[in-house]
Amino acid sequence: MVKVKLFGVARLKTGVSEFEADIDTMDELKNSVPGMTKREVKDLVILVNGKSVGRWYKFKDGDEIVMLSPAGGG
Amino acid sequence: MATQYGGYMGKVLKIDLTTKEVSEYPFSDRERELFIGGKTMAAKILGDHLKGTEEAFSMENLLVITTGPLTGTGAPSASRFNISTLSPQTGYITSSNCGGHFGYYLKKAGLDALVLTGQCEEKTWIEIQNDNVIFHNADDLWGMKTTRTQEALDDKLRMKNGRVRKNGKICIGPAGENLVLYSSIVSNDRVFGRGGTGAVMGWMRLKAVCVSGTKEIPIYDKEKMVAHTKKWFKYLRKHPLTGDQLPRLGTAGLVSSMQMKGMLSTKNYSSGQYEDFEKVSGELLAEKYNIVNKGCLTCPIRCARTVEVAGKPVKGPELETLVLLGGGILNNDLEAVLKWNYELDELGMDTISAANTISYAMEANEKGLWNNGLKFSEIEGISQIFEDIAYRRGIGDELAEGSKRLSEKYGGKEFAIHAKGMELAAYEPRKATGLGLGYAVSNRGGCHLNGGYLVILEGLGLSINQTTYHGKADLTMMFQDLMEMISASGQCLFTSYAFFPAPLLKHPNSWYVKLVNMALPYCGAAVRLMNKYPEMLKLHLPVFHHTKGFEYATGMKMTFGHYMRCGERGYNLEREVNRRFGVNANKDALPSRLVKTLQDPKDPKSKVPLEKLKKVYYHARGWDSNGLPTEKLLKKLEII
Repeated sequence: MVKVKLFGVARLKTGVSEFEADIDTMDELKNSVPGMTKREVKDLVILVNGKSVGRWYKFKDGDEIVMLSPAGGG
Repeated sequence: MATQYGGYMGKVLKIDLTTKEVSEYPFSDRERELFIGGKTMAAKILGDHLKGTEEAFSMENLLVITTGPLTGTGAPSASRFNISTLSPQTGYITSSNCGGHFGYYLKKAGLDALVLTGQCEEKTWIEIQNDNVIFHNADDLWGMKTTRTQEALDDKLRMKNGRVRKNGKICIGPAGENLVLYSSIVSNDRVFGRGGTGAVMGWMRLKAVCVSGTKEIPIYDKEKMVAHTKKWFKYLRKHPLTGDQLPRLGTAGLVSSMQMKGMLSTKNYSSGQYEDFEKVSGELLAEKYNIVNKGCLTCPIRCARTVEVAGKPVKGPELETLVLLGGGILNNDLEAVLKWNYELDELGMDTISAANTISYAMEANEKGLWNNGLKFSEIEGISQIFEDIAYRRGIGDELAEGSKRLSEKYGGKEFAIHAKGMELAAYEPRKATGLGLGYAVSNRGGCHLNGGYLVILEGLGLSINQTTYHGKADLTMMFQDLMEMISASGQCLFTSYAFFPAPLLKHPNSWYVKLVNMALPYCGAAVRLMNKYPEMLKLHLPVFHHTKGFEYATGMKMTFGHYMRCGERGYNLEREVNRRFGVNANKDALPSRLVKTLQDPKDPKSKVPLEKLKKVYYHARGWDSNGLPTEKLLKKLEII
């Protein structure tokens, strides 16, 4: 079981701030975000335990996944 | 002095507050071609007067209020206007910029700029209506907070039919009246926050300026401008930053990204991450507190938040305020930040410097250097402290001097987080070393925007290596010059995001974005070539609508290369004026916490390699080893 947290535009679009999921692969993650298509999830920055990981990363129990979109401001 | 160019009204007015003499300030078309408008035009005017011996609070200082040629032309986000002066905080020239109505109405009154000098004999507010300048006694306004002041001014401008004459206003609050070094100038609910311009206005005994007029702002090629503007608006509305993220979340939307990248200034910049960041985040602000988005005139971005404080809708906090009054002082009460943001605007005080001064004081207290009663995470009484600063009561009188001067008195220079005397913005630079360089070399002191805002590449928009020194100096120069010119034109810097093609931001996991992230720091030589010979770029970039917009509005020839050269000229001009006041490589400094102490003890690169970066930067700029523009460069740029 992993914990997924959404920030930025993704969070406002879906209305979901966090959820738990029983997933092993990135592909499964991309299909598991409520209110977002796989294509939309693909365009989010994904960090696992605070770090970028490759697309072949296998999730472990207790991983914390953060998803957010690129941002700019002043 | 009329002008052949569109976008300009062709007149700069000088007002001597001591003698009440009003005269036209000569500014030729050649000077318009070279110094454009906004902060660059102001730097030219200041540079023509200041010799390097003057002080901020003196008869010789000037307060220069400028518009840009695009201000009020209908171009997107082009309501900006600028105030420059000799800063009481830094002792160098400062420029501060905001949106709102004043710039538009200044042009409607037939003016491109106002040059104020001297000191009023009595407390004064000035009314400018077309060509008339009227001095009014301001005894009844003195002491009023900024909203009340502006309401009272509207009452004074009420016409016989009961309506208020359409006008633009700037005013100071109690902080400016009492010469708090980081006082702001307020215009409606927009603020000239940085550099202490409000204190200079307070010293001049000038409470407010109201402008109105009926003149038409000329456009060189109206038909083309209208068609181009339409496309420009469309582009900005479709762009992921200006059309989606900023409207939805405002600038506060960056909190989460900064946290993830270790750039979120926490506990007086002792860390780049705040465990309670979600409680003071842009998402929470948007979901729970934002009533409606607001925008400046002709702005499609509409990044401003509206929140409720004490039962009335007021402007919400920007990113800087949220971070520095949130994690900066270990506060996790967002409602408190909303209230303080409102109070600081009402008192007329820069939220960034106020917050950083408080966090310096908290750390000085914690370390036993100064027993002032302020403690991290204890937020009760902060409102009272802000009032005390504005009215210079008790320890407020000391806090009104800012963190630099306090650290000179009480010690703790290593954690007084300022550059050249002005407190840093909310980005912790040890995980964004390009911005660290920018903070240090910025002409107005610790500013992220004048510093080149490289964080947009260092993890927020793109994700280049955050701590490498490769390429950072050249990229910093490029973005400084770009933003210098956007600002001089009278536009909001957020329009500069258009410089990044949308796919780069929409598809961060694509192979081409990964390639850009990896390669960009190593493209320093190519960037330097472009910085050095911008005239090679005799073209309009398809993603960058500014150059064509500029041409259609003014009739001046403007390619991307020329645009960059104008920005470079502006940046060097400010540096040259600051040279007279003693700026040099030694003054381009950061507190030792940021350059000597690792943010992450396990990461030997998590500090700003400032000296190394400065060396490359000076070389890229064509400055000497002491960080000063050479005579050859100044001549090439037609500054001398």
